[in-house]
Amino acid sequence: MKLAYYPGCVAQESGRELDLATRWVCRAVGIELVEFPTFSCCGSGFLDEANEVLNVAINARNLAIAEKAGLDLLTICSTCTGMLTLANHRLHDPAVKARVDGALRPLGIAYGGGVKVKHLLSVLTEEIGLDTLRAKVKRPLAGLPVGAFYGCHLLRPSDEMGQASGEEPHAFEDLLAALGATPVMYRGRVMCCGFPIQFVKPETASRIAGRQLLDAKEHGAHALATPCPLCHISLDAYQNHAEKAVGQPLQLPIFHLPQLVGLALGATPEELGLARHLVPVDPVLAEIPGPR
Amino acid sequence: MSEPTVSVPLEVYRFDPATDAKPCYQKYALDLAPHTPVLTALLRVRAEVDPTLSMRYSCRSAICGSCAMLINSKSRLACETPVGPELAAHGRIVVEPMRNQPVVRDLVVDQTPFWREYRRIEPHLKLDKDHPMPEGKPNPMSPAEVERFHETPRCIACAACYSACPAVEADPAFPGPMALAKLYRFVVDPRDQAHQDRLVRIQTEGLWLCLRCHLCTEACPKDVRPSERIRDLKELAIRAQGATERGSRHAVGFKENIRDRGTLNEMKLVRQTYGPVGMLGQLGQGVRIWRKKPEITKRPHPIQGADEVEKIYEALDDGSGSK
Repeated sequence: MKLAYYPGCVAQESGRELDLATRWVCRAVGIELVEFPTFSCCGSGFLDEANEVLNVAINARNLAIAEKAGLDLLTICSTCTGMLTLANHRLHDPAVKARVDGALRPLGIAYGGGVKVKHLLSVLTEEIGLDTLRAKVKRPLAGLPVGAFYGCHLLRPSDEMGQASGEEPHAFEDLLAALGATPVMYRGRVMCCGFPIQFVKPETASRIAGRQLLDAKEHGAHALATPCPLCHISLDAYQNHAEKAVGQPLQLPIFHLPQLVGLALGATPEELGLARHLVPVDPVLAEIPGPR
Repeated sequence: MSEPTVSVPLEVYRFDPATDAKPCYQKYALDLAPHTPVLTALLRVRAEVDPTLSMRYSCRSAICGSCAMLINSKSRLACETPVGPELAAHGRIVVEPMRNQPVVRDLVVDQTPFWREYRRIEPHLKLDKDHPMPEGKPNPMSPAEVERFHETPRCIACAACYSACPAVEADPAFPGPMALAKLYRFVVDPRDQAHQDRLVRIQTEGLWLCLRCHLCTEACPKDVRPSERIRDLKELAIRAQGATERGSRHAVGFKENIRDRGTLNEMKLVRQTYGPVGMLGQLGQGVRIWRKKPEITKRPHPIQGADEVEKIYEALDDGSGSK
């Protein structure tokens, strides 16, 4: 399988371990990543707040790059997935399309609307398939209780994101089970991580992150896994603030989705950049026996 | 021909603050056709099993907006949620009062905060005193003008969005999805003369606390899509007043951040939002993160074709919010 790889900004900067793990997993399951140094930032939802049409145009340019190469897009961030998918939808509005086309045409760029935006989660569960993944597991996750943390933009608005339910998804839990983990069900798994207002009102953002972390912990999770590097920032890099907000220690390790897949498929912690986390993952690693 | 029935296990939240120390969940089992609305199931419990079960309802047709509650943790109208699919997904139906509003009794909540936020946005046309409504004549709007707010009048004020909202849950300064969607309706109404005042006020009164998690849009039984109208309000507020608040500064800062290189410069964004002095407050956390991720201080490489991004900006960015 060949896909245009859209890593997004964070995986190329503070979240490089996500890029590292993605490349490892894609090699292991046979996804060929075609890279385009021309891809721009997706706007992360903030550009959309400032200027909707500009946000659609920037992403139409990204989609046009993949379309020209005849490839669908592989994303590894819930927010990138959301913004690129929303661009596809908003281009159905003739007034938006006219303005976007007007800005792209002088640059010789045309987007016909034919590119599908696929997050690694859906590629792994729907295209590679859980049976194939199960057969590749070298280090089963030994029943480790892991909570999925989806990230809003992957799920909602559900009609635009093509999700059967924006509040009761199960693909991530299915994947965790296939890797040998025990998925933990908790309300926070589909809730907000607080990231969008981390800069606006940090104390509220931390209260929101803290609530979800505590919820997961109280339901027995030993770790969380997320398909979104922005959720990762909120839940891992700012977990110390969340601990203050909820008034108790949490120390809940947060994995990027491909890190946990990689671990089960036999990658070493070094190959997955696990030492780059702010909350150490060692206690969880100690719970999983080595590769068989 | 009647539909075959299935056995439906119901678990209903019961609490009377006057007599109960804490809430409990009472179990009932009813034989119901799968298409039966949850509200009908509850009314049967009340008629046949327990006359003390308290709930709000009226029209039973998703018009009055009275019967919003939590059905298997989702904020929904009980009158239009059939038992069949819930049973198939969860094996039982747990019914609880809405979130973010104190419980009066059983499934009835105190809606005072919800209505207070609604009144606070002054949900009525404010006309220019010099140009009052033409007496005895219509004050027409064009179809295109009406189209801008075709979704919001569908709102039935059921408060499902308010119940589903994590920002309401975390911060009393957030007015809630319905109040903001309704505010949008007046901001784009060409007959309303208070657009500017409304936008200036809302920038400082919670607009930027919306998390754009879209849980309100998911919960809304009338497809008002509050989260999308809140997005519209944010852009309109920036156009009306500029980036005066931390939230608008962050949105505009982000827009400017990726303009010249096509990619995000994380450090620069922190500086743009907090300003040089505010940056100092972020120093401790910054150093903590830098120890594990030292590349955060380096300027990212520009993308190839950054000039194309710049040209798209030239065509579509009117500079709103920029200094």
